Formats: sequence, C-alpha cells, structure tokens
Amino acid sequence: MLINCPYCGPRDLSEFSYQGDGNRTRPDPASTNQAEWNAYVYDRTNIAGDHNEIWQHAGGCRAHLRVTRNTLTHKIISVGFARDERHKKPHGHRRSGAHS
Amino acid sequence: MSPRRSQTGGRVDRMRTIRFTFDGRPFTGHAGDTLASALLANGVTLFGRSFKYHRPRGVLTAGIDEPNALVTVLHGDVREPNIPATMLEIYDGLTVVSQNRFPTLAFDVGAANQLGGKLLGAGFYYKTFMGPVFGPLKGTRFWMFCEYFIRRAAGLGRAGIAKDPSRYERMNAFCDVLVVGSGPAGLMAAKAAADSGARVILAELEPKFGGAANWSGETIDGMAAAEWASTMVRDLKARDNVRLLPRTTVWGYYDDNAMAALERVTDHKSAPGKGEPRHRHWTIRAGSVVLATGAFERPLVFPGNDRPGVMLASAAERYANEFGILPGQKVALFVNNDAAYRAASTLRKAGAEIAAIVDVRGEISAAAQEIADEGGGELLRGHAVVATEGGKHISGIKVQKFDLANGALSGEARHLDADCLLVSGGWSPVIHLASQAGLKPEWNEALQAFLPPKPTQNWVGAGAFNGRFTTAEALTEGLAAGLSAAGSTGGTDSVPEVEAPALDPHPAPVFEIRAKGKAFVDFQHDVTADDVRLAYKEGFVSVEHLKRYTTLGMATDQGKTSNVPGIAIMADALGKPIPDVGTTRFRPPFAPVSLGALAAERYGEVKPERLTPMHDWHVENGAIMYTAGLWYRPMIYGLAGETVEQAYVREAKTTREAAGIVDVSTLGKIAVQGPDAADFLDRVYTNMFSTLAVGKARYGLMLREDGIALDDGTTWRLGNDDFLMTTTTANAGKVMQHLEYLLDVVWPELKVRLTSVTDQWAGAAIGGPRAREILASCVTGTAVDNDTLPFMGIVHGEIAGAPVMICRLSFSGEMAFEVYSGAGHGVHVWEALIEAGKPFGMVPYGLEALGTMRIEKGHVTGAEIDGRTTARDLGLDWMLSKKKPFVGSMMMDREGLADEDRVRLVGVIALDNRPLNGGAHIVEEANESEPRNSIGHITAVCYSPMLGKYIGLALVKGGKKRHGTRAFVSDPLRKRFGPVEIVSNHFFDPEGKRMHG
Amino acid sequence: MVDQLSPLGPVWRPGSHGNFAAGVGVVLSETQPGSIVQVAAWPGEEKSLMAVIRTVAGLALPDGAGGGVFTEEKAAFGFAPGKFLVVDQAEGLFATLSAAITSEVGTVTDLSHGRTAICVAGPKAEWVLAKFFAIDFSLVAFPAGAGRSTVHHDIFAQIQRTGASQFDLYVFRSFARAVWTALCHASEEVGYEVQ
Repeated sequence: MLINCPYCGPRDLSEFSYQGDGNRTRPDPASTNQAEWNAYVYDRTNIAGDHNEIWQHAGGCRAHLRVTRNTLTHKIISVGFARDERHKKPHGHRRSGAHS
Repeated sequence: MSPRRSQTGGRVDRMRTIRFTFDGRPFTGHAGDTLASALLANGVTLFGRSFKYHRPRGVLTAGIDEPNALVTVLHGDVREPNIPATMLEIYDGLTVVSQNRFPTLAFDVGAANQLGGKLLGAGFYYKTFMGPVFGPLKGTRFWMFCEYFIRRAAGLGRAGIAKDPSRYERMNAFCDVLVVGSGPAGLMAAKAAADSGARVILAELEPKFGGAANWSGETIDGMAAAEWASTMVRDLKARDNVRLLPRTTVWGYYDDNAMAALERVTDHKSAPGKGEPRHRHWTIRAGSVVLATGAFERPLVFPGNDRPGVMLASAAERYANEFGILPGQKVALFVNNDAAYRAASTLRKAGAEIAAIVDVRGEISAAAQEIADEGGGELLRGHAVVATEGGKHISGIKVQKFDLANGALSGEARHLDADCLLVSGGWSPVIHLASQAGLKPEWNEALQAFLPPKPTQNWVGAGAFNGRFTTAEALTEGLAAGLSAAGSTGGTDSVPEVEAPALDPHPAPVFEIRAKGKAFVDFQHDVTADDVRLAYKEGFVSVEHLKRYTTLGMATDQGKTSNVPGIAIMADALGKPIPDVGTTRFRPPFAPVSLGALAAERYGEVKPERLTPMHDWHVENGAIMYTAGLWYRPMIYGLAGETVEQAYVREAKTTREAAGIVDVSTLGKIAVQGPDAADFLDRVYTNMFSTLAVGKARYGLMLREDGIALDDGTTWRLGNDDFLMTTTTANAGKVMQHLEYLLDVVWPELKVRLTSVTDQWAGAAIGGPRAREILASCVTGTAVDNDTLPFMGIVHGEIAGAPVMICRLSFSGEMAFEVYSGAGHGVHVWEALIEAGKPFGMVPYGLEALGTMRIEKGHVTGAEIDGRTTARDLGLDWMLSKKKPFVGSMMMDREGLADEDRVRLVGVIALDNRPLNGGAHIVEEANESEPRNSIGHITAVCYSPMLGKYIGLALVKGGKKRHGTRAFVSDPLRKRFGPVEIVSNHFFDPEGKRMHG
Repeated sequence: MVDQLSPLGPVWRPGSHGNFAAGVGVVLSETQPGSIVQVAAWPGEEKSLMAVIRTVAGLALPDGAGGGVFTEEKAAFGFAPGKFLVVDQAEGLFATLSAAITSEVGTVTDLSHGRTAICVAGPKAEWVLAKFFAIDFSLVAFPAGAGRSTVHHDIFAQIQRTGASQFDLYVFRSFARAVWTALCHASEEVGYEVQ
C-alpha cells in the first residue's frame, strides 16, 4: 500500500504508523463530562467502506495525515495534513459506545 | 533404453564440462544444463520417491511447475530441500541428494506403502487420529504413538538445522512498467514500453530470456525464434531505461502495484563473488505491470501417469531444443490437443522414433494430421492410454478405444512398446499474479482453461497468459500491452512475422481416463482421482474443502499441474460445469521464497545497534554490555574474579560512600521549543511547568489519555521558549509520537516544535558525597556550590575545554549532577570526569548498580510504569495538579482506577535472605506446592548494600495498608518460595537528606 | 576548542574493500560538518525563514517540498513541512541562525553533534542506497539538491542529493556506526572505497 504524503509524495506503508480513527474529536480540555471523555478515548467507528483515519508519516516528515481509505479495498481516496483539515467536517458517522 | 544427449542441438556449451554429484555418484553435464537435463543426459530418470506411497518418480516438466523431481542441495551441513531439479542450474561441485527414500533411491523400503494404498487415502489422518480414544488404535494418543514413524515415512525433503552462512539482501526498485515473463509477448512488451521512453524492468524466472522462443523451433522475423529473442535481449540490455532481471521470480502482487520478486543471484555459481548475496528480495513499485507469464501444460490423469518416463510434451520439446536431449528413443504421445504434435515432430527430427500418437479426439486439425503423417508411428485417434508398464522406468503403454462423448473405454487393451510417454492435457494460463490482483478467474469452455480475471490493479496481460497460445498472437498482444502500460498511444514498432504450423489450440474436454489403477492428479502430494471422488462422497463439495481434505494443490508447487484437473474431476463428480465448482484463489508466493531473503539484512550481524558516545570507553574498561532496546549499556564494570552481584554491590556502595559515574546518554531527549512550549507542557504533564524558572529543571509525570501513567522524567527550562525534556530510555519514541499527535491533530494552533535531540547530548550522571568536590575540581566557567547550583538548578560551564551543561538532580538519592556535553565531546568530558574522580575514589557504575540505588530509593521506571498502573498506584499522586486540566486528568479518577484495592507500589524484603526474582508472585498463604490468590508481583530486585538484604519493589493489592505485614514470594518456574516483609518502597534515606546535601 | 570525535570509531577503515577489482562502485566518507542546524518556520512564515537562510548562509532555497541547494561548503534542504536542515563545514552556524531567526518566525535547533553526515558517492550509489530505503533514487524522481526524509527499519535518515551520483545522509549519531557498517556490507559486491 502506498500513501501519498502531501509533503514527501507516495511512500510505502512501512513508513507510516496508524494513529487511529479520525472521526473523534477531543473534548475541550476543561470539560468534565465523563461520557464525552469516555467516548473520545474508547469509542471508534468501524466502517466497512470509506473510513476517515489518522496516519503519521513516522518514517518520513513525521506529519500526521488525514487519510480517507476504503477498508475493503485499501484504496485511498484522499490524503491531507491533519493540522490543515482539523476544522473540516469529519467524514463518516460517529457512533457512541454502549455506555454513553 | 534411456534418455541421452544428442550430438548436436540445444544451447548447452558442450565444450564446457561441469562436475556434480547426485546421491554421492559423480556426474558430468555442460554449461547451460539444469540438474534435470544433466541427469537425463546421463540416462538417469529416477529422481525421487513420492510423498505418501514412495512411488518412483521422474521428471515431468522442464520448469518451475515441476511436481516430482524435487531434490535437496547440500552446502556443507546446510541443506536446501525441495528444489525442483528443473530449476537448478548445475555448477562445479554441486552436491545433490534425492528425497524421501530409505535406504537408497533405487531400493526404498517405504515403497511398501504402495500396497497399503487404500489405508492412506484422503482423510486418512483425520479418520485415524482424531477424536476420542476407542481402543488402542484410534485417536490422538495413537497419533502420538505413530507420529515419529509417519513423519519419517511421509514427506518431502528434510530441513537442515545448520546455520545458513549465505548472505541475503533486499532491494527497492521503481519503474513505469514491470514486464513479468520474457517470452515473445514479454520481450515485445518490454521493447514497446522502452521505445516510448518508459522506465522498464523485465523479470524472467529462468536464467535465459526468451521463454518459449528458446525451444519452440519456430521462426520469428526470418530468424530462428531463439535467435530473435537473443537479438531483442541485446537491444534491451543496451538501453539506460531498461533493467533486465534474470533468475527472478515475481511472486507477489500487492496493493498499489507493489510487486515482490526473488532474484536467485548466485545459486548457479560454485561460489558467490565477494559480497554477492545468494538471493535478493526485490520490492518493485511499478506504475503498471505487463503480465506475460505464459501457460503451463497440463498432464492427463490416467493409471500409471506418474511412472518415470512420462513427461509433458512441451517439456520434451524443451529438452530437445534447449538442452539437446532426447528424453527417449521410442516415444509415444498421449494428447487431447494439437499443440503436442509439434513435440512429435521435434523429437522425430532429433532422432527419436515415434511409437504412436494416442489422441482422445476422433477429429484433428489438418496441420496435426500432416505432422502425424510425416512422422511415422501410429496415429490412434479416439484412443486413450489406460496404463503404463515397467518398473522404475516406463517400458510400454496400454491403450484402449475411448469415447469422447462419455469417456467410456472399449475393446481390447493393446500393448505398445515405448521408453517415453509424452502427455498433453491442454494449457493453463499462469494467472497466479493476476488472481492476486483481480477478481475471479473466468472459465473458457473452448480453451478448457481459466483465463485471467478482471484486474483490480493496474496491469495488462499479453500472450499465452491471456489464452492466446500462438506466437503471432503473443507478439501482437505484447506490443499492444507494452504501449498501453507505458501510456503510449502508438509506436513505430511493428509485429514481426512468425512461421509456425497452424495448430489448433483448443483441447478436447478430457482430463481423466477412468481405468483401474492409481491415477495421479497431484503428483507432489500423491493425491489420486479416487481421492477426489472419495472427498466428494464424504460430503466435501467446495473446492476449498476438497483442497484441505485431500491436500490437493497444497504442496510446494501449489498445484501448478494439478489444480485444473482436480477441479474438473470434482465438477464431474458433482455433475456440475467447471465454472460452478470454481477455482481457488491464488495467493502469494507464486513459488517458494527463501526465508533468508525475507529476513535479509535483519539477519545476523547487521541488525542496527545504538551506541552512546562513550561506548568504546565502556568496552575498553571492562564493562559487560547488555542491550536495552537497540541501545547497548554497561551492566557492570567487573573486576577480576568478581561475580555480577559482587560488582554491582561494590559499585553502588562506593557511590554511596564516595562517588560514582554512570552514562545516561540513552535517556530520551526532546527539544520543546516555541512561544507556547510552557503552555503545552502544562497540558501534557500532570504537574505545572509554566511556573518553572529559566535555568531550573523539574520532575514531571505524563499520563495517557485514558489516565494510565505513560512516562516520567525531568524537563529543563533552558530559555523562556526553550525546554529540554528527558524521557526514559525505553519510552523516548512513544512519548515523541504522543506529543506529536497532540500538536498536529489536537492543538495545531499551539506554536511548539519538537525535535529529537537524544543524540545531540552525551550525558554523565555523577553522584555521591564527593560528587560536588569532583565537579568543582574540573569545571571551569561556573561555580557548582549550593547557591550557584541548587537542587534542580542548571549551570553552563566547561570541562577540559568542552562546553557542558550541568543540572543538579538525583536518581541515585545521592548528591548528584547530570553533566551534558555535545555528543562528539562525550568521551573527552567523560575521561576528564574519570580523571577528576580518581583522587576521590570515584567508580564508574553500570545499570545494575543504577537499578540497585533506585530500588533503595523506591523510584519507579518502566518496570512499574507498565501501561497498567496509575499515578496513585505508583505513589505519585502528589504530582497530580488540581489547578489545571492535563492529558488523562478526567480519566484517571474513574471508579476502577481509584479503587483502594488496586495493586500499589511497595517494597519487599526477603526474610530468608535469598535473592528474589522480578516477575515473581506475592501470595498470602505459605503453600509452596499449590500457590494461589496472587496479591501482586515483584517488578525489580537487587541486593541492597545499604540494608544488607535482598530487596525488591512490588505492585501489591492494597499497597500501603500492607506495610509491615508478611507474605510469600512464589516463583514456581524458578523454584523460589519464601517469606517476605512488605514495607514502604522508600528503603533508604526516605527524607532525601543525602541528595539535598 | 575541542574537536568532535567521530562516532564511527573502529569501523572506519580507509582504503578499498570488497569486490573492487573491476573498479570502485561507491566511495563512502564521513563529511564531518562543523554545523548541522535544524530550522523550522511557523505556518505562513516559511518565506521569511528562507529569506533568513539566504542572508545568513547565502543559500537560496527553491520553493516546494523537499527543495534544496548546496555549495562546496554549505547545504540546505527541506525535509518536512516548514522544516529545513542547514549544514556548514564551519562551526558557528547555530549561533548566527539563532540570532537571526526571531521567535515570531520559527525555531532553531542545534544538531551539530546529534546527526552524523555520511556521503555515498559513485556509479553504484543509487544501487547501494536502494537496498536500504524504499524511495526512488533516480535523478528524475530525486533531483540534485533535493532532500528526502525516510527510514530504514528503526533508522531515520534525511538524505540530500549532492550530485548526479552523490548523496549525503544525515542519521542519528547513535546509529551512525550501524549505518556505516551496513553501508559497507551492502557495498561489498560493487567494491567500495572509504575516504
């Protein structure tokens, strides 16, 4: 699998490390809503299809990337810097866990 | 009668003789020979014994599809089993032994298994050895009894246990077009792509490029096909944009056109050149791929079809035209298609007598008829071979009339003399790579073959791979594929003319002749047609189940010759058309890959080592080094005659009494820089850093988002916007990644930069009652007294002319200082410190003494911050700021994590004065033989010179509540049981008087 | 002033090695620059930072990811968004860059001791490096001057092409000996010279 790093260009999967579901949003640091924190730490979407993921180009420029990847085909639909795309609407739907 | 080398013909170099041995017997061959061709030239036709029945086996093919002629190559004690003799190029000194025979290949006692054939049918193992035990001869216990004998009797080559000294390596390559296979289609594609300017790699698994052109005997562009191929290869070789990879098997098709290939660099040489690897594993990232992998000829399934002397028609053609070998003097053919007639013609021209052509078809093409007419020998249309005769070599065949419509045999069985039987059951395109990168293969009724699936990746096929079996079609398709792969709309290349007999590639739909006797489908795993039918009768209807039950296609050849006949026989049993039964998906690897090539540079001496600047000094000064992750660190600096324990006790004791110095360069160091650095540290540490003054350091604790402790260390404020964070050695990478994620994904608005500066600094920690005097004697440019350098203060100065940064902090509990210098000055500064310490009796100490002193002090490290413990568990709740939120602050107080009964950090003292072990359990009951109800475990142990006892740190339920109580250490694996006292983890100087001076 | 000690120690063996009978495939050397400095611009400040590098070091960085430039004495290249490595054979570059780059523009980090610079040059340089790194070393994909960040197992490397068949590798100092040993090992088949 290749990921097209916006800085380094297409690189082998082995240079990247998966940093988790890209659909979660960290609560405000001052938030004391336990359910919100639980959801952030533990709830993950698990989509069979186009998934919004965070990858770090750990073996390259070390930037975190927001990658839309099809989990069935490994086809990568889009890649951008995570820091640029933070305020864009997340792709896919969040689903809360059983506790919230 | 036996095979022999003809006086002329072929492309072996008869002037060059090569000597090798097979089963200890010396043989000679010529340059260009494979082991198979060289042995055939010597009249050898018995190559091995079969997997289950120990039947004599010869050579069926001339290539990578060979199921029978597997051998073991010996390099001294190193054994390389299961190498097809057809792929093994001979060289001087080659030593080969045959497999699965005892005591010798010709006289094999295991051949008695043939008599018990019924017993060893499909599912034998499942039926005999699984399930409950009824009586003595059933079930798993019986398996345990029989296993040794069965493993000896059944199987392929034996793996060696000697260390393989060969060298393997990996290689990365990029190209616009990768062409797999160099037959006429592949050569044409490579040239067309190269002509349009593409960067091209052409991979060929054989030593010689050209594929079928090397033995077809056809004419291309007015030249012999082999000559045409050589011309093409010379042209390609001369180009800068083409890389030719001979002896290279492309074995895996991975996502985004990443192709895995194995190059056998020196397997054909007596000795590798200096530095040459044996195998090179290529990862080729190709813009597009041309699959020109050709087709495998299929054998027919009939009784006795495995007898040595039975060979594929195309293989015989290849032996004759490429190696100058006649596989027999009196040759019979048994075919269901036209293509094999060319083999008859070839062998007749090379001097063999054609005994008969037995064709299941009633009607054959005019071209085939013409060859049959000119060839002599009988043409038996509408006939089939029902048996082969002979012992370890074929001496004749039996034929009967055959009805193509229903497969019925009729009439008297007729005997014909023959010392070689060529078979052809049609052709299967080599679609393995396409199957890895495509949908389901498609059955073609006319060609009786699975054709390539629709691609899911960027490849295009050409030639026989596509079921286009004539050379003219291969050239046309190769040209088109090359252009299309290179993204070119048209080129100047034209398709060369081909002269070849107009043989009809469509076979009759006949896979099996049902007559009495063992008819093999999978030669390598000894699976017969009856086994397939038995599987059907027992309810296995899916091809996948069939495969697993009978092991059809699961041998080292992965069913290259057997998959399609196996499916056809299953389809027949089911009464379904072949496409409804389906094919199995091909998975990587296409052919066996050496494990050495996969491990490559990770193997042996060249795995990366991480060394501190002072590494050589440690080694030269008697340190025993051990690994901590990739790092090498001194364990002890032992004196003559000292045990490890004596050494670390001496080092720790001397440090506490005078002074000691330890290399701390491995600590993770991260530069945290920028106007928001202090704010950022407040967010990631549990305690406050924005209040830290410039020139001071503070101990900090980080949690994970889930509230579990992540790492600890000191962070130094070097400037207002400039911090130097230290982490534990083990967690440096993890902490870096954690912080980078937060900055990049969670708080991109913060202006903070992180840089790994672990390697920028050499660190030496010097501690003990004399440490300050030692520093004072060698540091210039700054004072080191209590006012200038208070606890957690930082000063800058010089030691022996090198700039240093000194922070007064302590891990040992002594008055201690960490001296940081540029890594390139590390040894210089270290040696100056050692020199300065001499008058004060200072010793260098290793990790054991470091661990001892930290255990005495009750400090935590990675053994306690183990990914399960919280700050409270570790007694670090005093570090949890209540004034600000921080990573983990909302999660750390969850019910389960705040539970008083969780395991908490304590100290333990061995009351029986015997050593403790890390990982040992703590139990409450004095029951050595049946320990139960573990209340925790020991994380770190040492002999404490200060206490004169064996002590340890432990995580124990209830923690503090148990201080002063007794329990037992239980470590059954290491046979250690004994009483301990649970105490505070602060064993020594709990008030910290020593480090504050 | 105290000289920096090379991290290569006993594995640095000058002379020709391996299969060099038919010519040397690569020349390996440690270039020992006096200054290796990382500079990083805050988002939007990249141009100002590049202007400072031009003024202070006389190196005009081209625009674009991984762009770089080099002279006999100095070199600079981008290796990550907003981040550049600036190298000088002379010491003192960290101080001059620190003085010139304000905290509004970015940060300056001294890596003069923390990174080891290894030069791989010669007709087989691409071949040898391709054994380690999964990046395309061909001149079309990796032009002279350009920089790349990549990794070989645990070993990070920043690589600048400093000629048609010459590359400078910047690796963590603690790994330098392992990298050097591995480079020598991989170069044996093509013959190599250590300078």
